[in-house]
Amino acid sequence: MNNSVLVVVLASAVTYGTPLLYAALGELLTERSGVLNLGVEGMMLVGAVMGFWGVQQTGSLWLAVLIAAIAGSAMALIHAFLVVTLRANQIVSGLALTIFAGALGLSSYLGNDLNLADQPARHNFAPFLPKSWQNAEIVGPIFFKQSSLVYLSWVLVALVALYLNRTRLGLNVRAVGESPESADAMGINVAAYRYAHTLVGGAFAGVGGACFSLWITPQWVDGLTAGAGWIAIALVIFAFWRPTLCLVGAYFFGAYSGIPFAFQARGILTGIPPELFQSLPYLATIFVLVLVSSAGARRHLGAPAALGTPYVREER
Amino acid sequence: MIRIERRLVQPKWLSVAVPVGSLLAAFVLMGIVLLFTHHPPLHTFDRLLRAAFGSEQALNDSLVSATPLIFTGLCAAVAFRMQLFNIGGEGQLYAGAILGAAAGIALGDHTSWLSVPAMIVAGAVGGAALALVPAVLRAYFSTNEIITSLMLNYVGALVVTYLIFDSESYWRDTSSPTAKVFPQGKPLPDAASWPVSHVGSLVIPFGLLLGIVIATFVWLLYGRTRFGFEVQVIGDSQRAAAYAGMRTRRKILAVMALSGAIAGIGGASQDGDFRHTLDPRGLTAAAYGYTGIVIAALARYNPFAVCLVAFLLGGLQNAGFTLQGADFPSGLVGVLQGLILFCALGGELLIRYRLRFVRTPRASEAEAPA
Amino acid sequence: MAAAAAVSLRGITKRFPGVVANDAVDFEAAEGEVHALLGENGAGKSTLSNILTGLYRPDEGEIAIRGHVVSFSSPREALDAGICMVHQHFRLVPPFTVAENVILGDHRGEGRKFSVHPRRIERRVAELGERYRIAVDPRARIWQLSLGEQQRVEILKALYREASILILDEPTAVLTPQESESLFETLRVMADEGRTIVFISHKLNEVKAVSDRVTVLRGGRNVATVATSEATPRSLAALMVGHEVSLTERVERLVEIGEPVLEVDDLWAMGDRGTDAVRGVSLTVRSGEIVAIAGVAGNGQRELAETITGMRRPSRGAVNVEGRALGGGDARAAIGAGVAHVPEDRLHTGVAPSLSIASNLVLKSYRGRGVAKGPLLRLRTIRDHAARLIARYDVRGGAPELPARRLSGGNLQKVVLAREFEGSPRALVVASPTRGLDVAAIETVHRYLRDAASSGVGVLLISEDLDEIRALADRIAVIYEGAIVGELAAAVATVEELGLLMAGGRRE
Repeated sequence: MNNSVLVVVLASAVTYGTPLLYAALGELLTERSGVLNLGVEGMMLVGAVMGFWGVQQTGSLWLAVLIAAIAGSAMALIHAFLVVTLRANQIVSGLALTIFAGALGLSSYLGNDLNLADQPARHNFAPFLPKSWQNAEIVGPIFFKQSSLVYLSWVLVALVALYLNRTRLGLNVRAVGESPESADAMGINVAAYRYAHTLVGGAFAGVGGACFSLWITPQWVDGLTAGAGWIAIALVIFAFWRPTLCLVGAYFFGAYSGIPFAFQARGILTGIPPELFQSLPYLATIFVLVLVSSAGARRHLGAPAALGTPYVREER
Repeated sequence: MIRIERRLVQPKWLSVAVPVGSLLAAFVLMGIVLLFTHHPPLHTFDRLLRAAFGSEQALNDSLVSATPLIFTGLCAAVAFRMQLFNIGGEGQLYAGAILGAAAGIALGDHTSWLSVPAMIVAGAVGGAALALVPAVLRAYFSTNEIITSLMLNYVGALVVTYLIFDSESYWRDTSSPTAKVFPQGKPLPDAASWPVSHVGSLVIPFGLLLGIVIATFVWLLYGRTRFGFEVQVIGDSQRAAAYAGMRTRRKILAVMALSGAIAGIGGASQDGDFRHTLDPRGLTAAAYGYTGIVIAALARYNPFAVCLVAFLLGGLQNAGFTLQGADFPSGLVGVLQGLILFCALGGELLIRYRLRFVRTPRASEAEAPA
Repeated sequence: MAAAAAVSLRGITKRFPGVVANDAVDFEAAEGEVHALLGENGAGKSTLSNILTGLYRPDEGEIAIRGHVVSFSSPREALDAGICMVHQHFRLVPPFTVAENVILGDHRGEGRKFSVHPRRIERRVAELGERYRIAVDPRARIWQLSLGEQQRVEILKALYREASILILDEPTAVLTPQESESLFETLRVMADEGRTIVFISHKLNEVKAVSDRVTVLRGGRNVATVATSEATPRSLAALMVGHEVSLTERVERLVEIGEPVLEVDDLWAMGDRGTDAVRGVSLTVRSGEIVAIAGVAGNGQRELAETITGMRRPSRGAVNVEGRALGGGDARAAIGAGVAHVPEDRLHTGVAPSLSIASNLVLKSYRGRGVAKGPLLRLRTIRDHAARLIARYDVRGGAPELPARRLSGGNLQKVVLAREFEGSPRALVVASPTRGLDVAAIETVHRYLRDAASSGVGVLLISEDLDEIRALADRIAVIYEGAIVGELAAAVATVEELGLLMAGGRRE
């Protein structure tokens, strides 16, 4: 049973969905404060390369994760500065960040300069729970044969959900994203919240990138995320800006990445070219996006109202 | 304390000074990055500029690099002007390359006078068709065009790879035994080679001229026609456009189709001017589409400025390829482009707002008289 | 007995690009007093209150609270000093509940806790609502509430924070006459407790009704501070405008009423939130007639105007122009049939703000033969046309190339009117045409509307300003929750009757 296609696909859904989940949670926090950050792909790649460098340098996986988070945050800081302080167009700024940090930019520059290509990681995340758990019927491969990054992501989903819905700070940030004028008039520092949440979003994205270079692959290759950052952005919309739905969505999209390997390994549908399978995540994203963007859905469960617009207090 | 005030009038000279200033500022920042990573900045810049513009050969190569960028830059500018963020220029270029190559191969026995226009039209159709997908989704289903157009870039890359590497398609060269083992595209017949002109020792590809002609057309269209007027209004205020009875949905389709068509012609130009075959590896590695976005933003969406900026960035890209090697940092070009864009965005602020330094009014310590 | 000055502003000056909003203004209000701040639109009242609440910083001058000089660098400091404001456009977060809005940003007491306990807060909000008789369901979400109820939430916010100084900016704009009375009672109760109420308005009768003293602002300066008992509406109006002025009285027009130009028949339309916003509206506007639709904001007026002019698709019913049916949801067809529309939101709907004035003047006519030659635009013609219109309608502060957003409210409205009248309309739909305009501009707009009617246009005036309606209209229909609840001849309609209808009471 544990070798059936279904179980294998579900297991890889969790695996491939995890980097998506980290990045999506981060982007969710950023967008809840009213900032749209399209630079997720760039932040993930920088996180991936710096995380890899971290483990090669220090031998410590968790330190590497921390480094990846800081690297992602540093990239996000650029976007935050441009968008919150300088009131630049958020869409162009996010794209600029992707070009700057992405596959032919900073991440590649660093990967090259630090000689990180073509070598295996000194250590990498791997399943660590007892073997008996890992081999349990069905749930074993899916839930127990995963790395600590997966379990950490579950904790983060719960924390983010609690934060947004049950704490004062969460209430404030939601106000900032829905109606910054009201939040400002009530004494909330709009800029501070936007900076903070954009930086945290970057940190999460960095960790998401590190999932590839420290666990899934685990190597550094140029452009290794292959568009995961963009799928994460779509994922936030798909999840209606709710953390728990992010989890479901991440695994849903993760499954599409897992299917090509699972099928190929079993010789299923060999006649079909691999490129078709590889397009599935992208096509699925479009399809899902269309569904959730229909007027009916948006009316009831829409985006933070002030998403994407700069807030200026003394505007005439 | 710095106070930010909106400007009453936007001085024209700023519209030129700021992009130029952004370019300079980006170079300075790049210099700092290089210093930090133990590369000599001035020497690197020198090599870069020399490889870009320093000799006849360099200039010609830069024109070659600039040609596709004019197309993708115009593609982005045309759409972004109406607040339609078409990020799919990359994929639309691939689509144009595919159909353009098909036209070129199919009309192999005919004269260039037939082949070349056919390729241009085919390229335009391919790009427009792909662009219509996010367009329809946006116009009729309110779906965000940024993500849909972007996803299609990945799909487009996969399709073009498939056609040469994983299939026995029309585009694949199956003539020789080696070709069967090492996949490559069918070479296009001679009639499908686009003409070149010579100005002194400069070699001007036909695509470059075509790009400039299209830029002129776009300038006329957006500045002097009813179509352009509607684009301006819709881009400024969708509500005002609806109020004035403008057909917003149709405009979205038309503008996206135009945008995609331009990128598609760029793809056909890649087949006809330079590669003379459908070349997936080359096209996907080049990232013309994304660079086009940078160009459009820096050129502030003005079609003629796009041509100029395309030449500058084309030169840089050309230099990047030429110098690629052990001792030249890879990814440099992407970093530089990103920095240019960041500086341009920051510079936008100066155009729209004015910074004033005011002294914080001191609160008097004395009590107010009763 | 001299009451201590609760708040005092001395020499306050505030400049914006192109205008001095406040010019060395002195102002003080005492504890237990209701002090009105009177002035026409643009006189500087909102700016002054924004300074007092920490949203703006004054360029010169000082603020003192109970004798201590203070300087606010953010709204939070003003809130901590006990100053709360009920803005004209509410500072509420629509998807949040009443309770969540009340505690937002509060960092004392309950607010210091990290986590949010909804029940405790709801109880306190309910208590306050009971005590001051402004009860609202604490669990309701803001978008579900009427504007009057939303205003109560704003006041509850101030009470929750134990504000000692409460500023209200044009609070009656969204209330029926009866609700305004009720508000005044609440304010009196709060003042009697020792709080200071600053009441900003441009309506003379309200100022007379509720305040103890009045400060009049004109052109950014304080021109007078008087005891309300010693002032008359006439004297206040004179101070507001700077010269003797005849109050808005009904001008009897020689009206020649002709055939129906606009007929609306059982019109239904959906709003933005999925519910019906227009419910079975039927009315007729004849040539030469001014028909007004009165009602509190948010009762479907905007949606009605949009449906009639083709910006919104009706779900049922018909609109006829001069007897011919108009296909629904097609603004272009409506424009072609001769329906002109001056929208409520003049800056974001009536014009494209970043485009030039000249472009905006051809916003609807750019397809016509005079303006375009085939697909090309005649740019010179457009410029000349704009120059002519600017001169004829006396649009100040605008050269044809300047972006429309640079114009003041009054001049912007002139541009919109100029454009709409040039099209030789048969029917004219105007929504809140004089909102935010100064007295001179209001008079000009009213004159244009009367002239339009005299020349045979059928005018449908949708407004929240009862004074304006009673001055201009021949017939008055009242809208409530999307339906017409009564129709009266203007000559006989009383404020009481209209107020009752506006609150939903049906006409006997």
